[in-house]
Amino acid sequence: MKDKSKSPLKVALHGMDGRTNKMMVMYLQGPCKGAAAVVEDLNAEIDIIDADSLEAKTLLERKLAESAKPIIALSLQELTFENILYVKKPVKVDDMLFALSEAAAILSVKKRSSNHVNSNMENTAIRQSQSLIPKTENVLPSVKDQVKKLTTDEQKKTSKHQTAMQLDEGKFNSYIGSIPGLDVNDPKQFTAATYNPKQYFQGYVQSALMVAEAKKQVMCLNSSWKPLIIFPHNYEIWLDADDKQLRAFASVVMNKISVPAITLTPVESATSSIQKDLEKFHSKDAFLWKLAAWTSKGRYPDALDIHRPVFLKHWPNFTRLVITPHALRIAALLIASPRTLPEIADILKIKPQYVFVFISAAYALGLIGQAKRKADEIIQPSAIKKSEQQGLLNRIIGKLSLNKS
Amino acid sequence: MSQYKIIFTGPVGAGKTTAIESISDIPPVKTDASASDMTKTKKSSTTVAMDYGIMNLTGGEKIHLYGTPGQERFDFMWDILTTGGIGLILLLDNTRADPFQDMKFFLDSFQKFIAETNVAIGVTQMDLSNKPTIDDYHIQLQGIGINPPVFSVDARVKNDVSLLVQSLLYSLDPEIEA
Ligand SMILES: Nc1nc2c(ncn2[C@@H]2O[C@H](COP(=O)(O)OP(=O)(O)O)[C@@H](O)[C@H]2O)c(=O)[nH]1
Ligand SMILES: [Mg+2]
Repeated sequence: MKDKSKSPLKVALHGMDGRTNKMMVMYLQGPCKGAAAVVEDLNAEIDIIDADSLEAKTLLERKLAESAKPIIALSLQELTFENILYVKKPVKVDDMLFALSEAAAILSVKKRSSNHVNSNMENTAIRQSQSLIPKTENVLPSVKDQVKKLTTDEQKKTSKHQTAMQLDEGKFNSYIGSIPGLDVNDPKQFTAATYNPKQYFQGYVQSALMVAEAKKQVMCLNSSWKPLIIFPHNYEIWLDADDKQLRAFASVVMNKISVPAITLTPVESATSSIQKDLEKFHSKDAFLWKLAAWTSKGRYPDALDIHRPVFLKHWPNFTRLVITPHALRIAALLIASPRTLPEIADILKIKPQYVFVFISAAYALGLIGQAKRKADEIIQPSAIKKSEQQGLLNRIIGKLSLNKS
Repeated sequence: MSQYKIIFTGPVGAGKTTAIESISDIPPVKTDASASDMTKTKKSSTTVAMDYGIMNLTGGEKIHLYGTPGQERFDFMWDILTTGGIGLILLLDNTRADPFQDMKFFLDSFQKFIAETNVAIGVTQMDLSNKPTIDDYHIQLQGIGINPPVFSVDARVKNDVSLLVQSLLYSLDPEIEA
């Protein structure tokens, strides 16, 4: 009989695209009766690798070199690597369970030799459960049916999937803030209303993201503050801090004392507390967006020329971002044609600080560009298409905004 | 009185019925066909006919919200449906086999309507499948040559649906105000 109290083996999946990944999660949970559960790489006991994937060779080499975890390779071809358990595709339940039980056996031997506790039970439980499962090859339809019932790790990352927070003008000052002695809304002070992201935590986070992405390596950014961990494969950031704390640290100018304390180190094995604190995962973009908004405090990045039009590459994913005042209108305007920052404020009849903060956040995500060549500026931006239905559209927007729940 | 419509489209299970329910002022009318009429899917209340909801505006105007049936066999209805429409909301289910293919299919089917109005795309079920990413959708759209809003949307969350509809309206005219 299947021992219900036994926890599933923790496996990590490699070399699989999103879809295959999900299929595998379902497969292990469904047809394999939960003998194994997919977890984040760092918390896994066993690695399952798609040996037919493009990156398979490097993956296998890396895994064999750097980790002592048992490896299960899935392949269309017969594999005879030492130290690798092989399951032939298309994967059958019996084969998979057998490979898992072999892997569990390896693990239990390791555990026994390290702490003398006999965990052979694990192994037996799987072998026993195996006999209960009917031989099925075509499990895919039932797997698909279960898709929506399961709670995945992804769903538990609640901050990632939380709907947008919308700031109205009234909340701007308390939530975004301002720089004492600087009136960013005064056209005479526009040239001074800039900031350099590199002088703040924002700049260090951006560089760290670039390194982690280039190396495809989980990295930890250490500073005088809290460690920030970057998971480049899932475009995620893990940080144990609330918005208030992050907002405070965002505005600190890095100086000779704080800079040497900032280091970037590869993470080979993260503590399990990270894996448990799934709600502390942020999507990279949402995190960077608000970090930039708080660093800007209504200023714009000094890399931008206020006299030149900027363009927006595409709409930001607003439902998962902090929506600063008038952000949707600014985005819509810039998608239609490039504009200078003061122009945007003029056309939309809004305070420049709302334009600057939006531009700072979108710029951090790489969504803002500025025409470099004179030729790009020759063409006059098209006059805005005034909708004949403007009144109607106004009333719908009004209704939708009223309905905010 | 003029008939203003916003059309919701997308494959079966993308969240059209749920999205209309989220922002409608009346309990939405679900005109789902009976289970016997359904082809392969076992889902008991998925859309095979039209969804309908209403947003009441101040001043007595009504915006009609229509959800298209996901099935290709309703092709002929789409033209009738879009007459008087002010824009298209396309919902895509990120857990489906090939959401890009879905996207192309619907953008293609509504090409004329989109050219006359606008489209905003909501990608649902991203909590179940985090890939493809929203950026991946933008890359695909570049190839198609349009640059519409693409948001992560949970059709059950009113704020998500509302923001998507707002982005559609602002695309039509950035100068409108709340
Ligand atoms: N987990 C999850 N479920 C969703 C999301 N959006 C919609 N749903 C669910 O998906 C199912 C299908 O939605 P439905 O409105 O019937 O789709 P339709 O066929 O397009 O009308 C419903 O059970 C919704 O509650 C989402 O973002 N995440
Ligand atoms: Mg439906």
